[in-house]
Amino acid sequence: MAKTKEGEAAKKAAAEAAAKPPDEPPPPPLTPTEQLRANTELLEKALDAEILAEYVRGALPAALPAALPSRSTLLAHLSKAEEDMEMDAPAPSGAAAENGTAPVGLLPEVEAYAFLLVVTFLVDRKRYAEAKEVATAALKRLGEYNRRTLDGLAARIYFYFSWTHECTGTLSEIRSLLLALHRTAVLRHDEYGQETLLNLLLRNYLHYNLYDQAEKLRSKAQRPEMARSTPQLCRYLLYLGRIRAIQLEYTDAKDCLQQAARKAPAGALGFRLAVAKWLALVRLLLGEVPEYGELTAQGLAAPLAPYLALAQAVRSGDLTAFQHVAETHGGTFAADKTGNLVARLRHNVICAGLRRINLAYSRISLQDVAAKLGLASVEDTECIVAKAIRDGGIEATLDHAARTMSSRETADVYATPEPAAAFHARVAFCLDIHNEAVRAMRFEAGANKKELETAESARQRAIDEEELAKELEEEDGVL
Amino acid sequence: MAKLAEAAKGFDQFKAAVARNDLSTAKRLLTTLKLKLTELAAPPPVYERTPTSQQELLLAREVLEQAVLLSVRLQDEAAFERNFMQLKTYYTDSRSLLPASKAEALTTGLNLMRLLVQNRIAEFHTELEVLPAEAHASRDVQHAELLERWLMEGAYNKVLAARDSMPDPAYAYLMERLLTTVREEIAGCSERAYDSLSVADARKLMLFASDQEATAFAEERGWEVKGGRVFFTGMEASTDAAELPSKELISHALTYARELERIV
Repeated sequence: MAKTKEGEAAKKAAAEAAAKPPDEPPPPPLTPTEQLRANTELLEKALDAEILAEYVRGALPAALPAALPSRSTLLAHLSKAEEDMEMDAPAPSGAAAENGTAPVGLLPEVEAYAFLLVVTFLVDRKRYAEAKEVATAALKRLGEYNRRTLDGLAARIYFYFSWTHECTGTLSEIRSLLLALHRTAVLRHDEYGQETLLNLLLRNYLHYNLYDQAEKLRSKAQRPEMARSTPQLCRYLLYLGRIRAIQLEYTDAKDCLQQAARKAPAGALGFRLAVAKWLALVRLLLGEVPEYGELTAQGLAAPLAPYLALAQAVRSGDLTAFQHVAETHGGTFAADKTGNLVARLRHNVICAGLRRINLAYSRISLQDVAAKLGLASVEDTECIVAKAIRDGGIEATLDHAARTMSSRETADVYATPEPAAAFHARVAFCLDIHNEAVRAMRFEAGANKKELETAESARQRAIDEEELAKELEEEDGVL
Repeated sequence: MAKLAEAAKGFDQFKAAVARNDLSTAKRLLTTLKLKLTELAAPPPVYERTPTSQQELLLAREVLEQAVLLSVRLQDEAAFERNFMQLKTYYTDSRSLLPASKAEALTTGLNLMRLLVQNRIAEFHTELEVLPAEAHASRDVQHAELLERWLMEGAYNKVLAARDSMPDPAYAYLMERLLTTVREEIAGCSERAYDSLSVADARKLMLFASDQEATAFAEERGWEVKGGRVFFTGMEASTDAAELPSKELISHALTYARELERIV
């Protein structure tokens, strides 16, 4: 009995959370969906199957025929989950308990919320197959409505729908369905849906390494001008960064990944880890050295250890060390889908090694260069050095007959346009940040007006005071 | 059924023409054959399940594989690309429906080589990512991967040496194309890296058959040939005279002004 009371309390809380978000406005303007999500997170810990079943029964009254199928699916799944967990509660008996108290016009939002709660509940308990069924049912139900107020909830359900498919390894089957949903979302100006679905599609393609298709979709798909949710933007940036890295556009990739890393919430460890891995590789490929702190951040150090070892090998320009790292951690890199990027790093290792040699020796035989770099033959070395010279990696000349490499006088950097270019890059970066910040500022719809009103009343008050003062003065004058 | 038999007959004729080395007839037959394939229901994008769908898919895949090989022999890169794109779906989306193809490694390797030759490195890497693990182990794909790595590193002599270790004679045409590209690359590197080279060394580096050829090439690129040595003097002058990038500076300054105005 005590249990049911507790359950009822939670149910009420859940119902309240679903029905109306709390009145007092929190400092940053949250959308109702975000508020709801925050509340849900608090609630989730207290939920168990029984309470949820109660809530579902309360939220979706049996009298409403339209909601009936959803109600029975949800309850069936909950009762199954409950039985498996060997709880002593009686299985819910369906429609018998309550009949007449159907509220006039049940909100579809409440139904969607019920679906969402049950799906998250099942996912939390790793019952992916069932969660998949529920999510599919939810999707079917959502398809019957066209309400902008549902968008936020629907986007969350899309996410879980795709997630359950990913966990059960059937991601490729839902691709055309997601594409159809995305099309609908664009036509209906459902910006939440557009963002979420585009990300899900990109994730879907990248899961199967279909970078080509992902890039084609991304470049053609319409994106809402302003990102509605930061997490989705972060994900988008990560996917875009990955695509760019594969396409050898490392500078673009670095920009995207850096932004993603900056915008990601501190708690999202898994996401930050993925970004850190790609970012480290892209920086290495660009010839930069990732910061030590970046690779040893709290909570990320252990999984990033292979990448730290890689960075050290590349920095020292030691080809044998690099090969050793690539071999010992080959499994990790393959699992992270970064194996091919790591293979591309070989060239960077050689370049770094050459640069060190070039700085240290004014003249060195190619035989020694080959030995120091761990290259197989002198002929290879000669060609490689020649290419490095042409690409501007090192300042040197070769003597074919004597088989030596001699360094050129290092030119004064300040006599070249180099400093100007560096200065320009920084200024452009600052301006970009400013523009992004301006664009990211969001204003509440009515905030502007309210301020104006207060300004008006302030002016009114000032006028009143002035008049009062005048009157007083006049009085003074009379006296 | 009748359509399948008809297409199969057409394919036999086509194969006979290829075997006779009658490439123009083969090309003509291929066009009609492809038209016939469109009448079948099983190949993509319809994927209808007919009793003979397995045979239909197999036939379609084999026709396209042969088409790819034919376009290489005809040295028609545009047709190659088209044919391979049509073929690709059989290796990806319909992979589970069919037994593995013997020609897959060869056609994939050829396609990678084509991308290398056309210097479409980004697409080359995108293709690499899509390949399953077992394809990476095949000799054809590894050959292409190694070539790309050598090209990136600058180990051009290895690329040149790879001419003798082609996994299949079908690569000959693409390798020849690659050779020209590599020669240009070596020339570009040499003029920056060396002050001068003896003509004999230059000939060896750039794989010319005779000294005359090497001299002609040197003159084409504007190098000076004097007393049996090639001097790369022409390049020095142009690189040293670093001029002020005034247009760029002006445009930068204007951008700053505009942006600052917007802030204030």
